[in-house]
Formats: sequence, structure tokens, C-alpha cells
Amino acid sequence: MLSRGTLIYIGQRTVLIAFTVLAVSSIVFLGVHRLPGDALFSERMHGNEYAARLHYYHLDEPLIVQYRDFMLGLVRGDLGESLVNKGVKISPLVARELTVSAEVGAFALLFTIGVGMLFGVVAAIRQNSWLDYLLTTTSVIGYSMPNFVIASFLLLLFAVWLGNVTNGAYYFAIGWTGTYGNIGEIWLPAFALGFPYASIVARLTRASMLEVIRQDYIRTARAKGVREALVVIRHALRNSLIPVITILGPLVIGIITGGVVIENIFGIPGLGKEFAQSILNRDYNIVIGVFTMYAAMIGVANLGVDLLYVVIDPRIRY
Amino acid sequence: MATPILSVRDLHTQFFTDDGVVQAVDGVSFDLFPGETLGIVGESGCGKSMTALSIMRLVPEPGRITTGEVRFRGEDLLKKSPEEMREIRGRDIAMIFQDPQSSLNPVLQTGYQVEEAMLVHDKVPKEKAAERTIALLKQVRIPAAERRVKDFPHQLSGGMRQRAMIAMGLSNTPALLIADEPTTALDVTVQAQILELLEDLNREIDTSIVMITHNLGVVAGLCTRVIVMYAGRIVEEGPVERIFDNPQHPYTWALLRSIPRIDASRHERLRSIEGLPPDLIRPPRGCRFHPRCPFRVERCFTDDPVLEDVGPEQRAACWVTMKRAYEEMGARELVDVSPGSASGVHSAAKDG
Ligand SMILES: Nc1ncnc2c1ncn2[C@@H]1O[C@H](COP(=O)(O)OP(=O)(O)OP(=O)(O)O)[C@@H](O)[C@H]1O
Ligand code: SF4
Ligand SMILES: [Mg+2]
Repeated sequence: MLSRGTLIYIGQRTVLIAFTVLAVSSIVFLGVHRLPGDALFSERMHGNEYAARLHYYHLDEPLIVQYRDFMLGLVRGDLGESLVNKGVKISPLVARELTVSAEVGAFALLFTIGVGMLFGVVAAIRQNSWLDYLLTTTSVIGYSMPNFVIASFLLLLFAVWLGNVTNGAYYFAIGWTGTYGNIGEIWLPAFALGFPYASIVARLTRASMLEVIRQDYIRTARAKGVREALVVIRHALRNSLIPVITILGPLVIGIITGGVVIENIFGIPGLGKEFAQSILNRDYNIVIGVFTMYAAMIGVANLGVDLLYVVIDPRIRY
Repeated sequence: MATPILSVRDLHTQFFTDDGVVQAVDGVSFDLFPGETLGIVGESGCGKSMTALSIMRLVPEPGRITTGEVRFRGEDLLKKSPEEMREIRGRDIAMIFQDPQSSLNPVLQTGYQVEEAMLVHDKVPKEKAAERTIALLKQVRIPAAERRVKDFPHQLSGGMRQRAMIAMGLSNTPALLIADEPTTALDVTVQAQILELLEDLNREIDTSIVMITHNLGVVAGLCTRVIVMYAGRIVEEGPVERIFDNPQHPYTWALLRSIPRIDASRHERLRSIEGLPPDLIRPPRGCRFHPRCPFRVERCFTDDPVLEDVGPEQRAACWVTMKRAYEEMGARELVDVSPGSASGVHSAAKDG
């Protein structure tokens, strides 16, 4: 499967991702240095304390020197220190938060693709039945609701109403314990994050499945005596996924950026929460680090989607 | 006479569209005997494919087989459960389609697609299937078959894809093979190769074949008997030599006239049948061919002819038949073949 051409392609794309990450962090670096406000200044400081802190972070150097030092650090994987919490190294911090966000994102994606495909396929093979109408209506609803509305509604439903209705006997502890949460905690945010996209996938899968099922090669499979279930799974499904992959790129980016909102609503200690926090704290070094991580994550996700084409469609080779 | 392996009786297949009911197959009956190769010819849209797909019970939506019988080895396929029918497909009755470009699954390896035809019917153990696939691909003369099994359809030429389709059709040595225009989508030299292959296979294997085509040359080369269809019906049937030498239905006659002849002078233009095939939602009253028939008589406008014996094992559905057209209407010398031109009947008498 991984032909020489594909490996070369992966190599080229990796280099491209690296440059994109450098470019994004440079822009953010230069951008935040133009912003008003200061995380280091405080009215309670005495004497040359402020100057000392500036010096500690090399902020008293000319911008061009700071930029050079930043870039040198970046290529070594060092994103510097937090401006607010002195001594806290940013690289390990955002790297860990990245894995948390990736975890939530992966679950959301799994939900998006799994449920989306399942609904789409079922709606297509039961075309114009009540089941089709139910699934299609559900996906229109999901498709037209922003993720924060779904998230707030889930909070209300599980954490408030469920408890109220059962007089507190049942409720759903929404929140996040520990770094990675547990299965019980992750499915709600994953649902809120993935549902709108699952709806898109379902609609697209349905449409492309209806198209594929009319193709000549499906008739060939039936003429061979292949069982109807296998006609769908083995002969139709993979072909119907080809157009779905096309939207997977934007969709994965939607999940990554949507994660910012969802992580803040559910209190998940990921990159998205840090993103909001660091901006409020004016912890510019962390802001830069978070952006850098997002750039890398989006780059890698896009590469992953492009490689999926090769897996699904043998006609595509890089 | 031997018992037929397939007998189709009064088959009706209709498409229920928004514009009305399309009578795609309208009362077709025929027999196919073991080892025989039967040709079905007719213009585009006359119902050849739908007849074949009805036998397979694979008529696409919004089509339905409304009445009739399809007796295969004495049992009516139209009464089989879907599961029984699935078992028959590919195992006892195989079908090869017109367009090898679109008839193979683009995301599955060619060898696998052939192999699958055997595996779904548990005809061979899994280990043997791969081996037999290569043997089959060799039998249909795909070069370097061992390597080709791993290829995806887009890596094969059109001719090779059709060979793979044929291998797939033959894999379970079916009792009946239906080939729906297997060469139409190929270019001429490849057509000749595929036909040659089919001729050879026809001799080698003991399978009854239904060969659908609008190429009469294919019929002449491969078939023993031929059915001519027009507007969802059989208008003439008989042994190939009889049909070619002595067609009795004006439509068959016109069809044969339209074959380009090698001995035709350069200036003689290709003769085709004037007019268009009829609308199958509201077919013409009387004989369905009457709006285009040069030999039509008054009766043709109102009465529907039925198949009648017109010679040894030859039947045609026509009030006039070519015998009379030759004798009384000078059909042999006819140059202008416009509607009614030979009989002089240009429209129906108002006062029937
Ligand atoms: N999906 C459909 N909806 C409505 N009518 C259809 C449909 N498919 C086929 N038909 C009708 O059935 C008739 C017979 O079609 P069929 O495919 O059997 O023709 P054919 O003889 O095989 O022609 P060709 O030589 O072009 O393959 C056509 O005239 C067409 O009007
Ligand atoms: S002569 Fe009459 S019945 Fe015979 S084909 Fe012509 S129109 Fe039909
Ligand atoms: Mg056809």
C-alpha cells in the first residue's frame, strides 16, 4: 500500500507542514508583540523588579534578537517559559494538552464517521421509508445546530433536568476528572462536537450510496449471487466513501477548532481551554505555543485525510 | 425434441414511471435448449436487456416483472424466494454485461472479483479459488494472468476487462450464460478478439448461451437460432440460416438490409430503417411496426399480428410476411423503403 511514491509524498508534505508551522508561529510571534497590554507589569512591583522580569524573559532585547532566539528555540522544540507562571516550560505543557485535545477530537471524529456513515447507509438502503425520513430529519437538525448549542443543551438535559426529574437519584456528573477523563466523561463532549459533522457525513453518504447502488458494478455483484448485505458492505460502501473523504479535510479542521468551544464548556484541560485561558492571562508565550500546536495538528490531520484517499481508492496514487 | 433448459412464457416487464407505464417487455415467450446459442437482436430500446434482466430477476427500479413465467430446468424462477434466486445467480445462470468499463468494481482487485464469484457459492475451497482464478484468466487469454489478478480494473485495457468479466461468468460453469452485448463497448479489433474467444469457449464448454446484440455479424458467427425483437415483443424467430436467407418479417428484412455489405458499391449509401422506435408507453395500435413498415396493409393499422409458423421452425408476427411482399409488392427491387412505399398504403382508411 505504501508505495515509494506515497512515501516520497509523505516526506514532502511533512517538510511543508514544518514550514507552515514555522510561518504560523512567526506571524503569531510578531503579532502578539504588537498587542497592547502586559502580563508582567503589576502595580505592586517595586524598584527594578519590572526591569528584572523583562530581562529574565529577554523582553528588553531588540525584537529581531528576540525573534531569532524564538526561532532557534522553536526548531529545537523549545517554546520558552510561561510569562505568568515563572519556571513553567511551555513545550511539555502544550504537548500534553495537545494529546488531550487529540483524544477528544479523535472520539468526535470516530463518532462523526461511524454514526454518520451508518445513518447514511441505512437511510439509503431504506430509501423513502419512515426510517429514512427519521434519519434525514435528524441530520437536518444536527446539521443546523451549532456545537455550543448542542453542548449547552446536553448540560441542561443530563446535569440539570435528569437530576430534577428523578429528585437527584440520577444525574450525570458532567466534567472532567484527571487529564484524560474516562469513557463516561468523554462521550458527551464528543457527541456535541461530532454531531453536526455526523449529520453532514450522513447526508453525503446517503446521497453517494444512492448513486453507487445504481452503478453497473453493483449489478455485476448481484448477478454473481453476492448476498445483499455484502453487496452493500463490500461493493458499495467503499465506493460511496470516496466523495465523503473529500469533505473530511474541512470537517476535521471544524472538529479541531470546534474543540476550543467544547473544551471550555465541558472544562476539558486541552489545548482549547489553554487557548482561551492564555489569552485572558495575556500569557503571550503560551498563546504562541498553542497556535503552533494547532498549526501542527491541522497540518497532520490534513495529511492523514489525503492519505485516506490512497487507502480507499486504488485509482489514486501519489 | 429435447426439453428446453429455459422457457420463457408470456413475460411482461413494465416500468412504472411518472409519465406512464413503459411496456419494456411485452409478452415474450421463447425456449432455449441445452448447448444451444440463441441470439436476441433488435434496435436499441426494444427490450433485449430487460428480457435478460428479467430472467435474472435483476430488473432495476421502477421496473417490475408483472406477469409471465421463466422456467429454468422446469422450475419457475419468478416463484423463487430472493435467497433461492441469489443462489441461482452466478452459479447456474451467469450474465456478462455490455460495458466492461463500468461493470467491474473500481476499488476491488480484478482477481478478487473473479474469485468472489466462486466463493459466494462455495464452489471451490478458498485455497483453490486463487489458483482457479488464474487458470480462468488464462483460459480467457489474459496475458501474465498471475500478475494481473492483483491489478485493479483501471489498470486493465477494455478488452482485458471484458475477458475478466467472461472469466467471472464462466467461473462456476453455469448451465446458462447470458451475454448482453459483450462487444458493443469495445473497439473493432478488440471486438473481433472477444468474439473469437466466445466462439472458442462456445465449442469448449457445454453451456447454453443467450447472446444479446444488435450486431447481426455476431449472430451469424455464434448463434444457432435467433430471436428478433421489436418494441418489447418478438417479431420473428428461427434458425440463423433461415432468418438470414429468408427473413419473413419486414423488420428483420429491413434490419438485414441495413448491414453494410462488403460487395456494396462505394456510392450505395448505408441503408437504415426509416423512422424511430415507437413510444413504449403508448405503443401504436395494430402492428407496432406499422408506422415504419413499407409493406403495411389496412389491417396492420388495427389488428395486432401474432407469431405464426412461416417455415421450418421459423415463426413471424406479420399479416403480410416477406413471401407475399416479394411476390406481390416487388420487395426485391424496392429502393425506397419509406412507410407504406411498397404496398401503397400510406394511411389507414378512414371508414375501416
Ligand atoms: N429505468 C427505466 N425507466 C423507465 N424505462 C426504462 C428504464 N430502463 C429501461 N426502460 C425502458 O425499457 C425499454 C427496454 O430497454 P432495454 O434496456 O431492454 O433495451 P435494449 O434492447 O437492451 O437496448 P440497448 O440496445 O440500447 O441496450 C427501453 O425502451 C426503455 O424505455
Ligand atoms: S406488414 Fe403489417 S403486420 Fe407485417 S410488419 Fe408490416 S405493418 Fe406489421
Ligand atoms: Mg441493452
